[in-house]
Amino acid sequence: MVELRGVRHRYDGRLVLNLDHFAVPAGAMLAVVGHNGSGKSTLLRLLALLEAPTEGDVLWDGAPVPRRPPTTLRRRITLVEQRPILFRGTVLENIGYGLRIRGIERSQAYKRTSEVADQLGLLSLLDRRRHELSDGEVQRVAVARALVVRPDVLLLDEPTSSSDRAATGALYRALAQERATRAERPLAVCIASHQLEDAYRWADDIRALAEGRLSPVTPENLFRVDLEAGSGDTRHARVGAIEIVVTTDRTGPVVLAVPPTDIFVSREPLPSSARNVLSGRVTRVATHRPGGGGGVAVTADVGVELVAVVTAEAARELALAPDAPVVFSFKASAVRVF
Amino acid sequence: MDFLAEGFRRALALLLSGDAEVFGIALLTLKIAVVATVVACGIGLPLGYFLATRRFWGRRAALTAVNTALAFPTVVVGLLVYGLLSRRGPLGGLGWLYTWQAIVVGDVLLALPIAAALSAAAVQGVDPRVRRTAQTLGAGRWLTAWTVSREARFALAAVITAAFGQVVAEIGAAMMLGGNIRGSTRTLTTAVALSTSQGDFGLAVALGLLLIAIALIVNVTLQMLQGKGGG
Repeated sequence: MVELRGVRHRYDGRLVLNLDHFAVPAGAMLAVVGHNGSGKSTLLRLLALLEAPTEGDVLWDGAPVPRRPPTTLRRRITLVEQRPILFRGTVLENIGYGLRIRGIERSQAYKRTSEVADQLGLLSLLDRRRHELSDGEVQRVAVARALVVRPDVLLLDEPTSSSDRAATGALYRALAQERATRAERPLAVCIASHQLEDAYRWADDIRALAEGRLSPVTPENLFRVDLEAGSGDTRHARVGAIEIVVTTDRTGPVVLAVPPTDIFVSREPLPSSARNVLSGRVTRVATHRPGGGGGVAVTADVGVELVAVVTAEAARELALAPDAPVVFSFKASAVRVF
Repeated sequence: MDFLAEGFRRALALLLSGDAEVFGIALLTLKIAVVATVVACGIGLPLGYFLATRRFWGRRAALTAVNTALAFPTVVVGLLVYGLLSRRGPLGGLGWLYTWQAIVVGDVLLALPIAAALSAAAVQGVDPRVRRTAQTLGAGRWLTAWTVSREARFALAAVITAAFGQVVAEIGAAMMLGGNIRGSTRTLTTAVALSTSQGDFGLAVALGLLLIAIALIVNVTLQMLQGKGGG
């Protein structure tokens, strides 16, 4: 549906986004994960056609979007910013904004506004003004305001950063409900988040963004798999050429995350209780991201690409360098399932 | 201080008796000020919005120029317009010199920088998310401008008030371009200057009070038009 090709985006000469290809297909449920400053918000602003990339193309249904996109096209994509702002006026007026400027007839607009407000649990707040709302409520109003115009693509930047569990649940239910009622013109949703659990629970597809680039493997080692019923709480998941043993009672499509700090790194297989013992070769050794607790990130090809984080000391002792043989071990219970 | 008390007494008498000449001057002053404010804001507010929201080459220079124009002495503007409108000037053919239209032209030039510079500041004061949000919710160029302006409406009302204040109290351009002709281009400010120089303090005070009254009424009206506040 909306697509970026060969995009390099700069702010004051600083490269903040560098994507060869990024697409939000029609009807997709997409999550973009990454840390703050990874370029998520910039990516969403480009997808929303609010900014034109410094270099590269934005495509809509395969056709290039002009640098000043026509309003009719922009109306099909709606962005909810990370810290959304409400306009002057009541919650009701805010949610109805998009309908009002589209010239939707008043009673029809009211019906649609109430419907969406109901889905997001906002009916009791319709008369409130922005200073009478909590941050979480403002976020929900902003989502309702975006959802009400029935866009083809809804872009949400950290939509639940100020929400409690109940509100988060209400948001995802509302999205599911909205998608279910729109079989003829499916709603694509793209959520940027650093809250992994959230995103993996519902997304069909997950992209990881780091320093403005798509990273093939996130620091968190994510895998989408289909879990078949097994004996007891143990499942064997096929991931590429290897199998990962997982402790869970879930079956069906899930996302597995292997926390990089839960992987034990050695030169040779060691006797241990770890059910997952994968040998391979080091592909990359990098000082771990700042703020991530120091450590060294060791990327190895063990049938799939996995990242483990070890202390600088351990990295020296094991003489970890590209192409060195390495063994990654981790317990079945260490693998997180979403 | 006797002359002031005497002035107030005369002012009251003049106003209460409904002196035709005094009211004629007041009405003309109001007409010139309103027309000049409407024209200056009609051009200046969109210009200010444009300067505040668009990125283009020479934008900083344009903002500096507008801000500098804020400090233009009224007599210099009067001189400039005099040159334009005088018989040998490029716009001499209009025959506007020493008419109320000439004063309007001068006043517009004086109020335009105020309208543009202050509204640019007002729009720049609006959270940038407002503009992006309006756009992403489907507003085109005009609706976006309307939405942003709505968020800045108190500041923009202050801009209009400031522009009106400039033109209603201005004397340099009114004197040079209007000529203070009795019954045709005499405004409250030029009349106050004249009566004072003639020693007619009563009349001067009366006209001065009228000027203040007009400013007060216009401000109160603008405040009422802004309506109830609320977030």
